Amino acid sequence: MSDNNVLLVTGATGLVGGGVLRRILEAEPGSRAYVMVRDELRWRSTEQRAFGNLASRITPVHGDLTVRGLGLDYNVRRRLTREVTGVIHAGADTCFSRSLAEARLVNTEGTREMLALARVCGRSRRFVHVSTAYVAGRRCGLIEERDNGSSAGWVNAYERSKYEAEVLVRKADFDWVIFRPSTIACDSRDGSVSQINGMHRALRIYHRGLAAMMPAKPGDLLDMVTSDYVNDAIVRVAFDPRASRQTMHLCAGSNAITIGDLLDAAYELWGTDPVWKKKGVERAILTDLDTYTLFARSVIETGDPRLASILSSLSHFIPQLALSKQFDTTVADALVGHPAPAVATYWKAMITHLMANNWRCVTRAAA
Amino acid sequence: MSSSASNISATPAIGGISYLFPASTRSVRQLSQDSQLESSVETLESFGFENVHVGVEESPYQLARDAVAKLIDEQSIDPESVGLLIYGGTPGVMAFSPAGDAAIGAAGFCTTDRFKYPSARLQYELGLTKAWTFAIDQMACTTLLAATRIARSLCLTEGIERAICVSSEFFPMYAGREAIFNCTSDAACAVLIERDGPANRLVSATTVTKGYYWDTDSRRDEVVASYFPTARHVALQTIDNAGWKACEVDWIMPHNVSMRSWEILSGLIRLPNAKLWTDNIARHGHTLAGDNFINYRDALDAGAIEKGQKILLFSYGFGAHWTGVAVEA
Ligand SMILES: NC(=O)c1ccc[n+]([C@@H]2O[C@H](COP(=O)([O-])OP(=O)(O)OC[C@H]3O[C@@H](n4cnc5c(N)ncnc54)[C@H](OP(=O)(O)O)[C@@H]3O)[C@@H](O)[C@H]2O)c1
Repeated sequence: MSDNNVLLVTGATGLVGGGVLRRILEAEPGSRAYVMVRDELRWRSTEQRAFGNLASRITPVHGDLTVRGLGLDYNVRRRLTREVTGVIHAGADTCFSRSLAEARLVNTEGTREMLALARVCGRSRRFVHVSTAYVAGRRCGLIEERDNGSSAGWVNAYERSKYEAEVLVRKADFDWVIFRPSTIACDSRDGSVSQINGMHRALRIYHRGLAAMMPAKPGDLLDMVTSDYVNDAIVRVAFDPRASRQTMHLCAGSNAITIGDLLDAAYELWGTDPVWKKKGVERAILTDLDTYTLFARSVIETGDPRLASILSSLSHFIPQLALSKQFDTTVADALVGHPAPAVATYWKAMITHLMANNWRCVTRAAA
Repeated sequence: MSSSASNISATPAIGGISYLFPASTRSVRQLSQDSQLESSVETLESFGFENVHVGVEESPYQLARDAVAKLIDEQSIDPESVGLLIYGGTPGVMAFSPAGDAAIGAAGFCTTDRFKYPSARLQYELGLTKAWTFAIDQMACTTLLAATRIARSLCLTEGIERAICVSSEFFPMYAGREAIFNCTSDAACAVLIERDGPANRLVSATTVTKGYYWDTDSRRDEVVASYFPTARHVALQTIDNAGWKACEVDWIMPHNVSMRSWEILSGLIRLPNAKLWTDNIARHGHTLAGDNFINYRDALDAGAIEKGQKILLFSYGFGAHWTGVAVEA
């Protein structure tokens, strides 16, 4: 990407959008950006916390992915259509427990609106779409970097709405690229977690001995990536001509961790805490999805309120563990220039960080 | 903590089992109408419960005494040949009050009545004059398994030839009739242990206690969640200590908690050839400490158990205790 670019970024108050924007502005001193935000105050606090001096090159515009026409002011829309040279769409509702209608409104219809806007941005060279590796849904085995269809179905409405958004992007009659990160775990350098997500929450529930079992086999892979890898990869490849109309997995791929190794490392670390050890929390049992589901359903049906709410929150995420998959990263590795770091190299550091911070993140919590 | 088959010479065995229920029976629906349940009738019925036995006129002591007398009679044993009597269940002076007056019995703990013990009275009234007599407590539904384990050990280490373990558990009167989604019954069950028996041999026993869960109210979520992994651990350890393979187990004699929880636990333990004796869940409910042995006796009477079969008895003592016992029929 050359200097003097003008980007339109959604999701700039979020983990990925914010991280990517900061790196682009740092790397390209002549560039500037519009950020479409729905909440001015939230943007102000993000701006102060995350952008510092770079903020002078960012112009917030009020917009909402759920509103027809994005709710953009007429003059703002005109300005964007004349100036924007590239769109990075990282705004999304990342909560796994939304209804399909709610998830679609932000993720699918929001993407439709963003595509419609990008289409009339005369100078825009590419639509950069941040998707998720879990558009693969219930599909198992090797997942390729392409549209793998919808026949397998999905674990939650988030996955489905993101899949449907990809379908819209691929239909666009202008240039696009789709990035599919898997779960963003932490920063690879020190294991610090800047956003608590479903995986961290699930881990905490197991740490507290509240979930008892896990629907997986010891050799099944769990994929996750670091925020620095995802941000670097997007910045590096977003406007690379070779990435035109490509879909790529920003995933650990063959560097993912097996569930067995993941649990070994977690329980070993937890066992170093004398307070935890004293409780005698039993290691979670690896079992089949039917047994896990029967357990979760029984607790939910019998109405023990706290445990039921914990297990229903896990139900939007945990079944993915039983659907073992390996994400192919051939396209991403070639374009980024290197694979994502192996999960085993930062997994323990991440758990240590979470334990040291009482399971809180450095900045804020999201879905 | 566990004891294994390898460190014993004789093999203590179950020489007989006798049990008694109080006269009154209540259906799940009746209990619900009387506000004795927390969960709905539909939930508890879908979990396999239909009827329970409720003590009113009977005292836990009376039921224990009658169960031991029945055992002595059925097995035609000389009371003086019994070298050990272990009582477990409704504690101390409370055991003498009829169930309907449990609170009066409980008040006795604050007076010198607390020194009136059911175990000593049993020994006297049943003529077990040579029996070393004591009680065990605080192990909830694992009490009778624990008592047999202790009896087994004492038979081996002290050369006691014959022991009787008896539990008489009445669910606390003001606690309703439900313990975490299980419908509870009152019952007494007496088990005869012979130092070296030809059948129903006690091959191994395993108990895990996790004191953290002592506060069952404030740690209820953790108690519910910890039940399954710890139960699996104890069941597999018991089988392993017996020198058995998982595929060799023929029967599980359960504690009569909900069918649903057994479905889940069976999915986790994975004993491919083991059948689960569930006939008594609907007709008797969960008799706290007595279940495993009541089921064992009924399975024997029904001809379901064949000589030499490998049988796992498992129970969970609400809160902190998980116990498994391996028996070779
Ligand atoms: N984090 C991960 O582990 C992960 C993994 C795989 C893929 N992804 C994908 O990466 C992208 C970014 O995820 P993230 O983790 O950065 O998400 P995030 O931290 O939850 O941020 C979501 C962003 O979207 C914005 N947004 C939500 N609803 C909006 C609406 N109606 N109108 C305008 N903006 C709206 C949010 O703005 P507010 O501040 O106003 O809420 C926020 O800036 C998503 O497409 C997600 O699917 C993330």
